[in-house]
Amino acid sequence: MLQPLPTEGRVSAGSCDEDRPTGNTQEPRQSEDEEGTPFIFTPQLIRLHKDHELFEDGDVHRHMYLQDLYISEADDKTTLCVSEFACHISGCSAVFSTLEEYEHHYNSLHRHVCCSCRRSLPSARLLDIHIQEWHDSLFTILAQRQDMYQCLVEGCGQKFRTSKHRKDHLIRIHKYPPDFRFDKTKKDRRTRETKRPQQKDTAMEVVDDVCESEGVCEVMCDVLSDQPEHGESMETHVSEEEAARMAKSTSAEEHADLSAAAHGAGNISTEPLQPRYSYRVPTTVCFGHGSVRGFRGRRGRRK
Amino acid sequence: MWRLNKVRHKAARQGDSELRLKRREREKALRQARRDRQLVSKRLLLNEDEDQPEVTMDTNSGEQDVVSLFHKLQHTGPEREAHLKALSKALRDPSAQLTFIKQENSMHLLVGLLTGSNATCRLQAVRCLHELSHSAHTNVAPACLPATPYLLTYLSGQSTKFTELCLYTLGNLCPDSDVVKEKLLAQGIIPALASCIENQRHNLAVVEAVGFTLSQLLQSKDAADKIIPMILASSLPSHLLSVLTPDPKFGLAPAIECAWCLHYLTCSIEDNTVLLSRGALLKCSSLLVSLGGAVAEGNKEEGMELLICPLLRCVGNLLSSCPVETLNSQVGDVGIVVALCALLQAYLQTQPALARESAWVLNNLTAYSSALCSALLTLNLIPGLIQLLPFSQGINTMILRVLANIAHKKKEFCVQLAHLGLLSALCATLKMADQEMVTLSMDVLFMLVVSGPQVAEEFVRQGGVSLLEAIQYNSEGEIRRRATHLLEHHLLSYSSYCSDTPCS
Repeated sequence: MLQPLPTEGRVSAGSCDEDRPTGNTQEPRQSEDEEGTPFIFTPQLIRLHKDHELFEDGDVHRHMYLQDLYISEADDKTTLCVSEFACHISGCSAVFSTLEEYEHHYNSLHRHVCCSCRRSLPSARLLDIHIQEWHDSLFTILAQRQDMYQCLVEGCGQKFRTSKHRKDHLIRIHKYPPDFRFDKTKKDRRTRETKRPQQKDTAMEVVDDVCESEGVCEVMCDVLSDQPEHGESMETHVSEEEAARMAKSTSAEEHADLSAAAHGAGNISTEPLQPRYSYRVPTTVCFGHGSVRGFRGRRGRRK
Repeated sequence: MWRLNKVRHKAARQGDSELRLKRREREKALRQARRDRQLVSKRLLLNEDEDQPEVTMDTNSGEQDVVSLFHKLQHTGPEREAHLKALSKALRDPSAQLTFIKQENSMHLLVGLLTGSNATCRLQAVRCLHELSHSAHTNVAPACLPATPYLLTYLSGQSTKFTELCLYTLGNLCPDSDVVKEKLLAQGIIPALASCIENQRHNLAVVEAVGFTLSQLLQSKDAADKIIPMILASSLPSHLLSVLTPDPKFGLAPAIECAWCLHYLTCSIEDNTVLLSRGALLKCSSLLVSLGGAVAEGNKEEGMELLICPLLRCVGNLLSSCPVETLNSQVGDVGIVVALCALLQAYLQTQPALARESAWVLNNLTAYSSALCSALLTLNLIPGLIQLLPFSQGINTMILRVLANIAHKKKEFCVQLAHLGLLSALCATLKMADQEMVTLSMDVLFMLVVSGPQVAEEFVRQGGVSLLEAIQYNSEGEIRRRATHLLEHHLLSYSSYCSDTPCS
């Protein structure tokens, strides 16, 4: 609505041109080459012209009064809108009406992602196992001579010579379903690949230094759903109570402690995750190097 | 002419749904008209015995009545008064209005009665003209032009009802065509309005009518060229300002009209030094202070927002013409920020647009005034502002600007803001879908984080590092750059991840 301009003090918004500044001004911060920071906020006086859209509601209200159509507050119900939240990950267009939904989405789908093949695993442990079994050549070599395939149930500790053996164990001993989503073999993956078309590169600009190692990153995501995406509007109408709850939740510190989640969330669901939002990962975005949990660790190594 | 009560009773009688439907449709039409820059309204002054405008449904007989009445009126005699009264009723009907002006010499006759020696006939004649002026048809206003010099002359008269009718008639005619407006200006409508409001300043019904008529003139597209300079050169601004304080007995109406006039004056031109020199900023802000106080105590009078809205706009725009050095003397004491916060809270649910405008004024106040920023902190108004950050449609972006204004002043302010919960609030606003909110949040976060190590530490403790890392994958380059900058230059030493990274 109002564009904050990285220029001096005063801004005229609306149908007339920008005002020339008078009086006190602040030093403008331009692009980061000059000043070293990309932050450009400066306090600005905002002048609103007669026809500015910010004045629309008030003007209409005034004219309704002139035309004898005024209604008092008690009778007229206006809707106060609350901002929606949106997942930051480029290419993921999920939007949410509450912070909790955002956190749940992020924690479920973006935190334990294998950089090589883009699979999202529900926990750090399963991610580690996946990486080990799928992308670690040393593992493949060792597996020829020893029992390397760990049981997926935490605390069980048993290891098996082949993934089939492990699967049998999971089904027999731990009563897992035969089509457990997080125990796919590489062979399954390939057959599925042929069915699913690869996504094209998105047109989005990507930071160059994000993904250093991978060649072709195929798009894969076990938790793709067919849910229609949320609409483009950034607002959602909420009742007063929800808005009050939202206000409370933003002030209290509620989102999960991200550093602890990696270890605490060792639960393995016995049924596939039911994502509520559609999810696309562009080929050009990578979530980190091989054995890293989520996003952390990448930066340290880069330096 | 304060009609709020009457409208409400009518609604209660008729049943809400019909009125609601009509209201909704009219509102939609008004919105569209505004977008087309064609927002125009006319007022209809009803007779004492009327409660609502009654339009006869039978247009045919209405037209017949008008023609026959017109013929009858051409003869003098005692029935003339009755015929005129009947004519004024008949002219309520739109098609009858057209029929009347098409009759040859009809306006000539009306003007003759308007200026004749019979006072009752004068009153009824002006009543007829008033009905005609209310017409939506573009042909009708120019037809009334012969009457306007007399209407203007009568503004200096003493009869309240008569003067009111003259004024509302003129006010209705103003926006209809440029021809009419040019004529009125040439015939001296502005000096006439100035002396009318001066001479009749104790007669609040007339003052309200003057305000209405002036507001009609001021809303025209080219008002800034000729009309506004003429008005600023006259005594009208001072009179408008003096009427602003509402009279408790008469009600808000005259103040409302004058406030809207002042709003049209301040928002149409960029240099408001004339109004500032008359004390407009001081007057408007002190009035806001008292209104805000009343609202905070729960005394929300019916229709108060019709007065608060233009006052907010005046203050907001006058501030942008006000040299910073004189801000304190022009605005008065810090009561204004208290009042604005009260208005924000009071109208948030019912009139979000008013809340948004209050936030805008708060931005303009805090942009360059360290004292007012400090006042917001010391008067404990910040937590209330932070709680408004979830609300969209421009409210949260404006509030965040206010908080950014405060942070921008001093590092101590940043520390205090962080203490009061702004950091956790930012952790939420950084996740919003609105890109403007995210960018602004990053700028505020930057100011907070560089203000002191304890703030940076607290941010890290609240999980800020992972949040920023996720933001590094945002599709907007501007946002990614900010996140990267914060991580690389200000938070690297605090993040704990370096220690448990298995290097591969």
